[in-house]
Amino acid sequence: MTLREMAAALELTIVSDTAALDQPLAGGYVSDLLSHVMGQAKAGQVWVTMQGHQNIVAVASLVGLGAVIVTSGVEPEEQTVNKAIEQEVALCMTKLPTYEVAGRLYQLDTAGK
Amino acid sequence: MMRWFRADLHVHTVLSPCAAVEMTPRNIIRHAQAAGIDIVAITDHNAGDNVAAALRAAAGTGVAVLPGMELQTREEVHLLALFGKMRDFMKWCGFVAPHRSPLLNDEARFGPQFVVDETDELIRIEETMLLASTDLSLDEAVAQINEWGGVAIAAHVDRPMFSCLTQLGFIPPDLGLAAVEVSRNTKPGTAREKYPRIGRLPIVSSSDAHTIDDFISGPKTMFLAETPTLAELRQALTGEGGRRFRDPA
Repeated sequence: MTLREMAAALELTIVSDTAALDQPLAGGYVSDLLSHVMGQAKAGQVWVTMQGHQNIVAVASLVGLGAVIVTSGVEPEEQTVNKAIEQEVALCMTKLPTYEVAGRLYQLDTAGK
Repeated sequence: MMRWFRADLHVHTVLSPCAAVEMTPRNIIRHAQAAGIDIVAITDHNAGDNVAAALRAAAGTGVAVLPGMELQTREEVHLLALFGKMRDFMKWCGFVAPHRSPLLNDEARFGPQFVVDETDELIRIEETMLLASTDLSLDEAVAQINEWGGVAIAAHVDRPMFSCLTQLGFIPPDLGLAAVEVSRNTKPGTAREKYPRIGRLPIVSSSDAHTIDDFISGPKTMFLAETPTLAELRQALTGEGGRRFRDPA
């Protein structure tokens, strides 16, 4: 399953659509503390967070994350969206709470493994 | 003529639910005078209602009070907002109030929030939950502080909670901070090495006092300036006009 298919399955709104979404789904990471994401998330993973600050783009780009999902109806700031498009970081948003996104993401990721 | 001023830029009063009842503005000023603390910034969580009492309590004591607030942004970053003029600070307080959490404080769990006068008399109890995130972003808060002539300092960046470094991973470039603060947990002179993401920003240290013991024993920052005013402290942070500052070793 690609990240794009995952986004469709979770009915996410894609606010920055990049080629990264054509990568296969390969695990996820959940945290709202960006310092932890920088230290512990792995390249290619999908990051689920409630932070909408522009630093999420820099962190995603630094770690090489597959995509960022901003949950719970938080609207990423305008600069965040602009930077994500500019730096080709895949960014999605959803009204679903983090718990539900993480649960459904885990099911998609582990199905068939 | 210039001289060294001993400053504590982060002190809580009884308006902060987590502060001890001894932290009345009058008591803080009395202890500052006795301990030779020249400059005290009053910085309660998301509110500034005890600043006026501190200013009145300090009149004639030689202790300079800076109006301030410890704002909790929506990213859960703690940010010190310091102002030189009460008029600007009141504008800031009015700006923040509608952005606070609609929840009410739970005294039993978090502690009471007292607004008092300069003689320690209770004026009222603040019912809004102050120990919660506002919906202001860090970037818009800093921009507003700077626009109204204030000084923005990222609080206790060395702590595992409510620090710009843990919440946001690094300090957003061009944010407009005047300095970052480290707590008593970091030995003076080691912060820049231990937290390289501070970059080239000036580093101050303050007590973040919630008790009189914290206030007396906690770290202070020394400023070389002509007068104990925010305008002079700002110059000292950037090393302008012969003003400078140092972390007490």
